[in-house]
Amino acid sequence: MSRRAVLAGVGHTEFGKLAGRSAWHLEAAAAAAAVADAGVQPRDIDGLLTDPGPAQGVLDGITPHFLRLGAQLGLDPDYAGSEILGGAGSVAIVERAVLAVEAGLCELCLCVYGDSALSAPGSFAYGRGDEAAFGFFGAVGLHALAARRHMHRYGTRTEHLGEVAIAARSHAARTPHAQKRQPIEMQDYLASEFLVEPLRKLDCCLVSDGAAAVLVTTEERAGDLRCPPIRILGHAQAHSLSTYASSDHFDRLPAARCGPKALGRAGLAPADIDVALLYDCFTIVVLLQLEDYGFCKKGESGAFVEGGRIAPGGSLPVNPSGGLLAEGYGGGMLHVIEAVRQLRGEAGERQVAGAETALVSGHGLGMNTHATLVLGS
Amino acid sequence: MPAAKPPLPQPDVLTTSFWNACRRRVLEISVCGDCGHRFLPPGPCCPRCWSPRLASQESSGRGRVDSFAVYRRTYHPGMPAPYVVALVELDEGPRLISNIVGCAPEEVAIDRRVEVRFEAADGFSLPRFALGHGKESAKGGNS
Ligand SMILES: [Zn+2]
Repeated sequence: MSRRAVLAGVGHTEFGKLAGRSAWHLEAAAAAAAVADAGVQPRDIDGLLTDPGPAQGVLDGITPHFLRLGAQLGLDPDYAGSEILGGAGSVAIVERAVLAVEAGLCELCLCVYGDSALSAPGSFAYGRGDEAAFGFFGAVGLHALAARRHMHRYGTRTEHLGEVAIAARSHAARTPHAQKRQPIEMQDYLASEFLVEPLRKLDCCLVSDGAAAVLVTTEERAGDLRCPPIRILGHAQAHSLSTYASSDHFDRLPAARCGPKALGRAGLAPADIDVALLYDCFTIVVLLQLEDYGFCKKGESGAFVEGGRIAPGGSLPVNPSGGLLAEGYGGGMLHVIEAVRQLRGEAGERQVAGAETALVSGHGLGMNTHATLVLGS
Repeated sequence: MPAAKPPLPQPDVLTTSFWNACRRRVLEISVCGDCGHRFLPPGPCCPRCWSPRLASQESSGRGRVDSFAVYRRTYHPGMPAPYVVALVELDEGPRLISNIVGCAPEEVAIDRRVEVRFEAADGFSLPRFALGHGKESAKGGNS
């Protein structure tokens, strides 16, 4: 009988400004929390995959991140590595752990995201090669191009982006560990300054210190653990690396290819998803994903988010813990963890009633990378 | 106090020819010697058929705004806001990131015709674009 992987223990640190604790300290704390959640011992870990955040980067000199963290955690695993997929990295390492566990390469794989981007901005580079000569700095400029095209093609309004920002804060208000718990209203959103028009400060994700970890193991092994296992119903990756050469790079995310593959493996349609954990580095990316995953038709995401449909109590709650916009920048691993908590039914005040299926996405770099997990209780 | 300088291009083995052409006020695009595909940025092979037989061609320097973003916050002291970054689609097909200059940000719109305007910058010549007066491109963009 083939081995089936499941998500077991999850854990994370606080998110926000955590002065005096390096990314290494935070990652070790998140790993310890995940191990405690599962009721296993550090010596049981036989796989290590890491997604170092943008400020610390994947290499320290020539030393890859997983090697330094593995040494600090005293691990000699059967399987190890780090991914460089930007914001798709956390979902991608969980997917890679699923593949490794199902292939028998390891049995209890620790997946870790961590960064200290607020306290130690480190290698954050604003320039993008020759494009820096034209002042094209940062991910916000890139996503502003996508937002402008969406507005032009479909009549999407600034208030539609605002709905996404407002929903994120109302979710976070119900999340004790969230970095920004203060609710906002449309007038607050419209008063938010433009950074790179049409994107405002409130369209952008937070910058955070923090770390998060997830354990992947076999269904069989999970029977001995103290936490209920969460099933992997489907997974996929898709990437768009040609960037400007592709005429629809800013209009359609690789999610449009990833979603049907992951949902198809799960035997589910978008309408079967109870809770969506969509990578939300910028509000526009949530709108694009609602379309590209098929939660609504292309071009109709603006109307879709009106009336609080993705907010608490809406028909498709998106990022019930607040996401990157309000919970904290957890690289996507916090999205995986929130899906696990929702499916376990342990999300407290923000619990989506009867949540049995979740879709988790990661999106990264120059709108180039994408990864999807479909999970079930 | 001297004004801060903006970042400069960093020519490498693939892009030196492009930046040298800019100094001659030529906007150079790469052309595949086998399939005829025209592309930017320059690369080691044709991104469509992987042929290593590459040539270059002078672009008309005319195109359309595919999208644009208005920087309202200053991220680099050498590039004070506001300024417009645009994704320009040349009439020959390739797209590149540049600036729209010589107008207020409010005048820029998707599908507006633009024409290259070379601007000197510390030993380089940067291909920026100004709004043109021609009709909108026959292709009408991707809209
Ligand atoms: Zn070719």
